[in-house]
Amino acid sequence: MSASSKDKKSQFTKQSILSIKNVKKTYPNGVQALKGVSFDVYPGEFLVIIGLSGSGKSTMLRCINRLIEPSEGQIIFNGEDTTSMGASKIRQLRNKIGMIFQHFNLIDRHSVLSNVLMGALGRTPLLKSMFGIFSKKDQEKAQKALDLVGIGDRAHFRADQLSGGQKQRVAIARALTQDPEILLADEPVASLDPATCHTVMDYLKKVNRELGITVICNLHFLSLVRQYADRVIALKDGELVYQGQPSEIDEKWFEEIYGEGATEVHVD
Amino acid sequence: MALYKIKYLIFDGLIFAYLAAVAWVLGTSPSEEQLMDLQTNFLLCLALFVVGAIVSILINKTKMKTLGALLFEPDHMKGKNTKSFWKSFAGLQFVVTFLVTFATGSLVTEFSFYELFDDRGMGGAKRLFQALIDPDLSILPIAILKIIETVYIAFMATALAIPLAFILSFLCAKNIMGKTSLGFAVYATLRTLLNVTRSVEALVWAIIFTIWVGVGPFAGMLALMLHSVASLAKQYSEIVECVSEGPIEGVQATGANSLQVVWFSIVPQIVLPYVAFTIYRWDINVRMATIIGLVGGGGIGTLLMQYQGQALWHQVGCLALVIAVTVWLMDTASAYIREAIK
Repeated sequence: MSASSKDKKSQFTKQSILSIKNVKKTYPNGVQALKGVSFDVYPGEFLVIIGLSGSGKSTMLRCINRLIEPSEGQIIFNGEDTTSMGASKIRQLRNKIGMIFQHFNLIDRHSVLSNVLMGALGRTPLLKSMFGIFSKKDQEKAQKALDLVGIGDRAHFRADQLSGGQKQRVAIARALTQDPEILLADEPVASLDPATCHTVMDYLKKVNRELGITVICNLHFLSLVRQYADRVIALKDGELVYQGQPSEIDEKWFEEIYGEGATEVHVD
Repeated sequence: MALYKIKYLIFDGLIFAYLAAVAWVLGTSPSEEQLMDLQTNFLLCLALFVVGAIVSILINKTKMKTLGALLFEPDHMKGKNTKSFWKSFAGLQFVVTFLVTFATGSLVTEFSFYELFDDRGMGGAKRLFQALIDPDLSILPIAILKIIETVYIAFMATALAIPLAFILSFLCAKNIMGKTSLGFAVYATLRTLLNVTRSVEALVWAIIFTIWVGVGPFAGMLALMLHSVASLAKQYSEIVECVSEGPIEGVQATGANSLQVVWFSIVPQIVLPYVAFTIYRWDINVRMATIIGLVGGGGIGTLLMQYQGQALWHQVGCLALVIAVTVWLMDTASAYIREAIK
């Protein structure tokens, strides 16, 4: 308990970058994915959201960049309520919040560099972008992002020629090209093998530590959580059931979050 | 009332009304005059439809399910159907409807083995065939010139149809337009318009255009183009509806605007199927251009009609040969190209 109170104290001194207030989401088919979730995210932290499939993790992340419309509640980003934003403000918001996905969501037929340059779409005029004309600055930024995730030499490969781990690194580079303040990662390693899984997580950590980008990451594996997270929140059936340090998740909490009889699987 | 209920009541109502109407006609063998009395018959059918819908409600109140209910019920109810389809009421309804339609169809088309294998008729067909397989090759030069014209008509029709169909395909895709009510209205209007355009045969369009711009290749080309726009837009839009959502989400998340999302996440996914469909359409257009010629749309069809009208079957045979070879060549080439770019 002492660790958690100390942690809270240090966070109170900081202004939150993102504040989720009583967010609810009900899908048209009646499924209640989020039943009033509230939490704060602080600048520069590596926050991990854990929970079973269907617990509302993915919905939560997508509510933050408005890929999904929250039904109720407020999401305050840098002092602004995002839930009342119109279409063009949403695009500006998304530009400041990068996102990577479980299935990478790259454009297979485009080159790696072209995929990474898509991170600059938000600030490139329509016609220019359609003819593939990006500013010198953006091109340099894209190449730098690729170098940062260690695949600068693959810039002119077609995206579908890369392995899963490399694709996810391209996705990270694409998000970095946006110059984001926050990086959302939705199950970034769930379709990767254990070895590549650590590579990708390491790059996320690097982005977090070296560039100071706040990371909010959905994860399955608790062993990864202990290794990478600064702070953890747990969702269960659309409700926040745990908030604290990764080291504090003991057997009891584990069963609480993942259900009775669940056993922990390690990734190494 | 839930939308699916309305759907299945209309479906079942129509089926039951149809079965009752057929039974009525067979049972009472009405006179020609009675059959032609559209107003009374329409009211009768309407009454049968209402009765049919009520029957459907009654049946679905019991443990049984009608075909319509089985077809249109929401997915979460479908899981509960444990009974095998062929043993259920819906299965019976399907089989009866199919058999009744087949039997009626044989009556309507005057299906007859006797006429098919009658000696006199077969003899005539045989003579015609013999002339066709002994083509008069002296008209080969003009036939080849005309088939070249036909291929060009088909090419122009396809080429001019591509940009229009390309733009329309996005406006006719439900996954793009269905999200707002304005979008859905545009989608529904355009879909209906295209369906109507497509349901009018190219042949009819050709007749209209021969009056509009005069007899000749230009009219044929316009007719084919219009038909191609409608067909391609439908096929293209179905490809758009099948694109995977992931890349769309990926591009959206960067803050791209909707046109950028279409250009960067949808277009790369659809380019190759579009090309394949377009080549196939050209191939179809060559075949259709032949027919269009029959009503004065230019190309080899016009020539074909002249010889056929004079019953010059040896010359028709030559034209048929040229058409067959061309269509075969186009067909094979387009198949190889479509295979290669997959």
